[in-house]
Parts: sequence; structure tokens; C-alpha cells
Amino acid sequence: MEALLFTQGLNVVFEALILAMLVLGLAVVMGLLNVLNIAHGEFIMIGAYAAYIVQRAGLPYLLAIPAAALVCGVIGLVVERCLIRPLHYEPFETLLATWGLGLLLRKCVELGFGRGYRSVDIPIGGSVSLFGESYPTYRLVLMLVAVLVLASLFVWYRRAPTGARIRAMVGNPVLAEAVGIRTRELARNTFITGTALAGVAGVMVAPLTPVEPFMGLTFIVNSFFALVVGGMGTVSGLFAGATIIGGLQSVLSAAVSPTSAYIAMLLISILFLWQRPRGLFPRP
Amino acid sequence: MPTSIKMTRRDLVRAAGAAALAVGAPTIIRPARAADALKIGVLVADSGPAALFGPAQRAAAELGAATINAKGGILGRQVEIIFADAGASPAEVAKSAVKLMLSDKVEMIFGSHDSAVRQGVENVVKGKIPYVYTPLFEGDDCSSNVYFLGEVPEQELQKTLPKMVELAKGKTFYLVGNDYVWPRTTNDKAKKYIADLGGTVVAEDYYPLGAPNKFENTVAKIKSAKPAIVLQTLVGGDNVNFNRTFADFNLSDDILRLSCLLEENTLIGIGKDASKNLYSSLGYFADLDLPENKAFIGELTKKHGDKAPQQCTISKGLYDAFVFAAAVTTKSKSLAAKDFAAAAEGVQFDTPSGSMTMTHRHTSKNIFLARCEGTKFAVIDTFAAVPTQQSCT
Repeated sequence: MEALLFTQGLNVVFEALILAMLVLGLAVVMGLLNVLNIAHGEFIMIGAYAAYIVQRAGLPYLLAIPAAALVCGVIGLVVERCLIRPLHYEPFETLLATWGLGLLLRKCVELGFGRGYRSVDIPIGGSVSLFGESYPTYRLVLMLVAVLVLASLFVWYRRAPTGARIRAMVGNPVLAEAVGIRTRELARNTFITGTALAGVAGVMVAPLTPVEPFMGLTFIVNSFFALVVGGMGTVSGLFAGATIIGGLQSVLSAAVSPTSAYIAMLLISILFLWQRPRGLFPRP
Repeated sequence: MPTSIKMTRRDLVRAAGAAALAVGAPTIIRPARAADALKIGVLVADSGPAALFGPAQRAAAELGAATINAKGGILGRQVEIIFADAGASPAEVAKSAVKLMLSDKVEMIFGSHDSAVRQGVENVVKGKIPYVYTPLFEGDDCSSNVYFLGEVPEQELQKTLPKMVELAKGKTFYLVGNDYVWPRTTNDKAKKYIADLGGTVVAEDYYPLGAPNKFENTVAKIKSAKPAIVLQTLVGGDNVNFNRTFADFNLSDDILRLSCLLEENTLIGIGKDASKNLYSSLGYFADLDLPENKAFIGELTKKHGDKAPQQCTISKGLYDAFVFAAAVTTKSKSLAAKDFAAAAEGVQFDTPSGSMTMTHRHTSKNIFLARCEGTKFAVIDTFAAVPTQQSCT
């Protein structure tokens, strides 16, 4: 029984961390630029296909990370220039535009690869014994990577000058521009960072799920709920949202049933949208 | 003679009319001939979660129509397919079915889609024309003038479960499925067979359909419960996800898995690393080593080349539907509900997976138990003419 509890405990942490990693790109774009990138799931999907191609080419799996970041970053650059900037970063207009972008990206991938499932082999097989209980190595590595990425991004945002500029731009764009911060470039780079992060998350989850053109849809749902509950634009919000949505779903699914866990998650998200639309830890 | 040359105005009109008729006749006769074709509405997944199967469904149906047309068609009439999308909501597909009947004047409907859509279509067709439902499903439907070609749970399980118990050398089962009618009915029927075998069900888990599911929890529980066999009724992406997670947690060496809907596309998604000790029980596999299947796949390859969409039990059923309809109408000589139903009882027809016989509007057929070898199926046992145990009149 303790063994089961221990594994389930690790599962909860795993689910929360993976969700945080998946939300990260969306949180950056939504929290800092007020753009809800509905095509976020499609960037994850493209990252997963990048991993598939790298693996099929017989290249080391680590190479998929820069490859996915590059592909998604370049697409992000084009999208920012042709879609987001002409729409002046308006929340509603960009929401509609990225929804259409998601359709387009899915169809493009379908054209190139077909609707069929692809599978990406687990790059690090085997399992590690922890206190007498074995847990898949790849999942442990993913947890470690997620912690490192999230922590370094947090530190960078707090300490680095660019972080300060972004905070200035978000706080008061006009004043930021007046003191010499090039907000246009800064916004562009922030958007690209968001899409590239989605690509990296795609590489991370690709060995766990079927890789297919519609896979992004399943990721965007939970990511959006995590943002709603956690609050946008803060790191604590990101963690709180991912922990509550990912963790709750994992715990309820183990303790009650997967269907009721899903219903509970939907109810919580509706309650938050209705009563506390800014989430638990909104940007002040 | 002058009198014969002299033409009155009335003659002129008459002559012009005759000439016009002669010139126009082919266009008048042509639609009459086209109306003579027997139109069949075929519902395939062009969109929605099953759209993966759409191209293969279309290819199988087109080959089915071409095959019986080459043998003289149905009731001496050439068959013409009118496709409609079955990937929308049941209400939308029902509307398409109404349009097929009223404006396209189809005289039969063949469909490969889920049960919710089938019930929507049944409600509008109301038995007026024969409706042939081809994919595997949960059974227990006796709507009038509807004919079922797919595997029912009784067929997937009755011979297969004893074989699995023998292979696993154990009788404890863990059931995991999606949360809708097919998995729940299949598992209810499975529990009966398991009890007959003296086995036990240690637990069952159901995951919502179409939700972003993760399976670490169930896999951890399976690891702790140590059943001999995991019986799966998961579909599509969830099937892939579960089996990949199962293998990641290193359970595939000790625990056998039997899936009730594991076809070629899903197995490619699961991948070679996660398919050890995974079994599938179905009425058809694309790699079946039967001459009739080799001919079927050969024809498709001839027509579509390398781009031939991957066939599986879900798509191949639409080919069977044409063979079935031709066999029934040879006996019934009519498409009237009463004649068709009477002729369908006991009708025998040959398909790529072997001969099938319709009894009580369901189809007894060969069931194959296959073990996954990498991303291919290796048939380890064939159960001939497995009865459906359905009792529609």
C-alpha cells in the first residue's frame, strides 16, 4: 500500500510539473502580452513532430530541443509580424486570429504527415529504483528538466535587465517607450519565446503520447484551465494553476474515478471564470 | 414531284420537332439511364475523431462497389455511391441521411461510425430502406431493417478469453476503458465470461472520452494489483497513451494485455517499444494470410499504389457491406424491407476475412487473436464462424 501511495505521489508531482511546462509558453504570451494564443497546442504539436523527425533521422534526441525551438520560434516570428502586430496585440482579435492559425497549422501538418499516429521512442528507457519502488527514468528526467527550466526562467525574469524591461513594458508601455525601451522588439521577442517554449514542451511530451495533427487540442484545454485558476502573468500563478489542475486531476482520478476528476476540473474552472476570473495570483 | 417538295408550315414544324427530338434524345435518354443506377448512401468519417479512418473507408467502399458492378451490380443495376460525412454530431448526420433519402434518392445506406450516430440515423431512416452498419459495436440493437456486420463483444471475447487465460496462466483481470456505452457493455459481458472461467476482476477504471487523459494512476494501481491480464476497451489516442505508459512502467513483461479495439493505425502509435505481450481480438487484420485478403489488398494497391490508405477492421467492413447487399438481393429480388429481411436471414457471403453468415441480423464470422510483434500483428489463433449470440428477429 505504501508503495502504491509513493508511486501515486510521484505521479501527482509529475503531472503538475509537466502541465507547468506545457502552460509555460502560453503563460508567457498571455500573462505578459495579453495575447491568448489558441494555437499554443499546435506549437506543442509541431515541437513533437520535430522530435519525431530528429529521431527518425537517427540523430541524438537532445538535438530535437534546439530544432523544435528554432522551428517554432521562426513560425512565431512570422506569426507575430503578419498576425499579432497588425492586430495591435488586441486580446479578442488575436484570440480569433490564433484560433484560425491553429486550424491552418493542423491542416498543414496533416498535409505533410497525414492523419495517422506516429510514435516517438522513449529516448531514455528503463527505470530507477527509489526507496525500493521503480519509476520510469524518462519521467524522472522530465521532472528534473521542468524544475530547471521553470526555476531558471523565474530567476532570469527577476534578475536580468531584459526581465526588468519586460516588467516595465507590461506595467506602463508608454512610459517604457519614453525611457528608451524598444517595446516593439521586446514584445516580439517575448512572443517568440512563448512559441519556442511550446516547441520544447512538445519535444518533452512526444515520447509519452501519440504524435498526430490534432494532439495540440488535448494540451490546450488543461493549459488554459491552469492559467484561469492560477492567474496570469505571475510565476506563483503558473505554479498554483498547474498544481491545482494537474494535481487535483491526478488525485481525484486515483481516489474516485477519472470521469469525476475531469468533471471536477471543469467545475473548478467554470467557478473561477465566473467568480474570480483573474485567478489566484493575478499580476498586480 | 412538286407536291412532295412543297412543304407547308405545319410540315416544317413537324420536321423541326422530329429533328430536335433526334438531336435531343440522347440527353433525355441519358438521365433516364442514370436514374436506373442504384444509389447507395455511404456514411464515412471525413471529419471528427475517427477521420483517421476516412480515406481507408472510402477506398474500401469504392472497391466494394466496383467489385459488385463488375459482376452485374445489384438487381441488374449498376451501383453508385453517394458519400456523406459521419464525423459530425448524431443530429447533423441524421440530417445528411434524410437528404440522402429525399433528394439523392438512395435506396440503401451503409455506415461506419459510432453508435450515437447510428441511433440518430436509425431514427430518421425508420426502417424504410435497408441500413447496413459495418463496424464493431456493443450489440443489443434490433431496430427494424438494420443489419450488423461488425464484431459484437460476445464474438471478441467468448473464444478469446479462455485462450488468454491459458497464455497468461492466470485468471485475474483488470478492466480499463473509455467511459461510454461500448466499453461498459463489453466489460459487462466480459465479466460473465470471466466468471464462467472461474476468474476474478480486481478493478475497473473508465476514462472520459475525448478528455486529456493521463494513465499513470491506473498503471500504478495495476502494478500494485498484479493482475494476470489487462482487458482494454480504450479507443484511439487513449489506447496509445495507456499502452505507452504501461510499458514505461515496465509492466509489459509480466502482465498480458488484450485490447478489444486495437487496429493497425493504433498499433503504429503505440510503437514497437510498448507492444510486447499486447494482444488484439478482431474480425480482420490487414496482414491476414488469406487468399481473399491478398486479393483485396492487392486490388487496393493496384488502384492507389503506395498511397493506399491503411486498411483495418473499421474500414474493411464497408467493402463487406456491398458483398452482403449483393448476396441478399440475389435471393430477395427486391429491396422492400420485408423481402430484404427475409432473404438476409442465413445469407452467406465471402469477404476478405473469410466467409460470413447473417443470423438474426448479426453476422457470425472468423475471429482472429493476434499478438503484436513490433508494429505488426501476428495471428496466433483463428476461431472459425464465431456466433454472435444476438437474437433480433
